[in-house]
Amino acid sequence: MKWIAFAQRNQKELLRDPISYVFCLGLPIVMLIVMTIINQSIPAVEGAPQVFRIEQLSPAIAIFAMTFLMLFVCIRVSSDRSTAFLTRLYASPLQSSDFILGYVLPFVLTGLAQIVITYAASEVLALIVNGESLPIGNMLLSVPLLLPSIVLFIGIGILFGTFFNAKAAPGLCSAVITGAAILGGIYMDIEAMGSSWKTVCSCFPFYHCVRYARLAMAGEFGDMLLPFAICCAFTAVIFIASILAFSFKMKSDKK
Amino acid sequence: MKTAIRTTGLTKTFGPKTAVDHLDLEICEGEIFGLLGVNGAGKTTTIRMLTGLSAITEGEASILGLDVSKDLKKIKPLINVSTQETAVAENLTVRENLSFMARIYGITDKEAMDRVISSLELEEVASQKAKTLSGGWQRRLSIAMALITDPKIIFLDEPTLGLDVLARRELWSVVRSLKGKVTIILTTHYLEEVEALCDRIAVMAKGKLRALGTAAELKAQAGKDTLEDAFVAIVEKEGTAS
Ligand SMILES: Nc1ncnc2c1ncn2[C@@H]1O[C@H](COP(=O)(O)OP(=O)(O)OP(=O)(O)O)[C@@H](O)[C@H]1O
Ligand SMILES: [Mg+2]
Repeated sequence: MKWIAFAQRNQKELLRDPISYVFCLGLPIVMLIVMTIINQSIPAVEGAPQVFRIEQLSPAIAIFAMTFLMLFVCIRVSSDRSTAFLTRLYASPLQSSDFILGYVLPFVLTGLAQIVITYAASEVLALIVNGESLPIGNMLLSVPLLLPSIVLFIGIGILFGTFFNAKAAPGLCSAVITGAAILGGIYMDIEAMGSSWKTVCSCFPFYHCVRYARLAMAGEFGDMLLPFAICCAFTAVIFIASILAFSFKMKSDKK
Repeated sequence: MKTAIRTTGLTKTFGPKTAVDHLDLEICEGEIFGLLGVNGAGKTTTIRMLTGLSAITEGEASILGLDVSKDLKKIKPLINVSTQETAVAENLTVRENLSFMARIYGITDKEAMDRVISSLELEEVASQKAKTLSGGWQRRLSIAMALITDPKIIFLDEPTLGLDVLARRELWSVVRSLKGKVTIILTTHYLEEVEALCDRIAVMAKGKLRALGTAAELKAQAGKDTLEDAFVAIVEKEGTAS
């Protein structure tokens, strides 16, 4: 189980970097609180946006938090590639599948922890603000249901980390983070923004991820199936592409 | 003596540039073999080809009887390399770096760790994170990470680069202690180092093998009293080196 040693190393590198806590945990929770406060200050009129309501907001933030996972995988892969450390590992008995597993697993675990923490914070906020609990059962079911989204973002991170150097990769990830927020409808209601914009958003995975996360929270599992399936399809394509890309790069680095 | 490494016509080109040019070498098991050459002579490229880090353009190389182009999977667990650049995991402690390396090579021997730590005198920094070490200490760790996997053949690319005089001597004694047990291929720009350690020396210039033999043989061949003078005479013989 050589890859486990590599996975543990990656986990340690992530967890021992204070910045990863700020982004992966701190920022999503701050966003959750800030947007809830904003929502509290908006008068509750007919037709006011629903997306700031905590039960709509927390699944979207849970997805948004995964974009930082993407950023950190990307930084890990691209900075490993830029140092002799990866060279030395290329000379070791590790194979390309060991590398992929070793990169993916710690970030999957971190992603699952992110969801749990985001939802726990949402529950506390819901109790304070609305005086009522969120659907706990739906939240628990959401944790495994959001797994394909986690893998999707990790796949994008590996893809960028593989093709771009340590300088360019984080910048590109920032663009994806912003894109995911806008195209995913994290803090706006895409359904209310006209059909052409919605068509644009449907071309990217983020909208589907956010949508199915919200439907899972709402317990509307029947309606959830379609966006969930679309997300899984995106995940499969991106993840396979990232494996191929990494293996390809590993070979071409040996030129 | 059994052959540890054999290259025949080993060549590497990068576009129009020939980095290693038809290199023929035979290195025996247990030998400490020095690769000398000015900057850009092709030493690192040779090591990269032998360790599977760089594809061979032309010619053949075998390690412990296994073909480098075909049997890399079998070769990898038997060798290790300390790259020219220091290569450690920054947020891991010295001990964690070593055990990480041991585990990916499938080494379970717990004593190996203590042995390597004490032979490179890493005790005092053993629980320090690698990124908090000075350059020279990181270098020692990087070398220790190659030693811990108990390789049959070890490639040390400029191992003493950036080490202080004491650390260098320690490394020399580590290398000497491996003599006869492990085959060591060592590159360096310090001629006293090769003279102190190496059984045989190959001098490369512009990717080609220019001279091969013991330090005494090289001096005799060039008609010089010191290895440094002999080295200069050898690499300058056919025009200035690149
Ligand atoms: N990836 C590469 N692409 C193009 N040229 C390369 C590449 N790697 C090495 N070279 C060239 O091959 C030649 C040999 O380089 P190499 O690194 O093997 O030299 P060296 O003997 O290790 O030198 P030094 O003592 O400076 O470490 C150099 O001219 C170098 O520019
Ligand atoms: Mg070199």
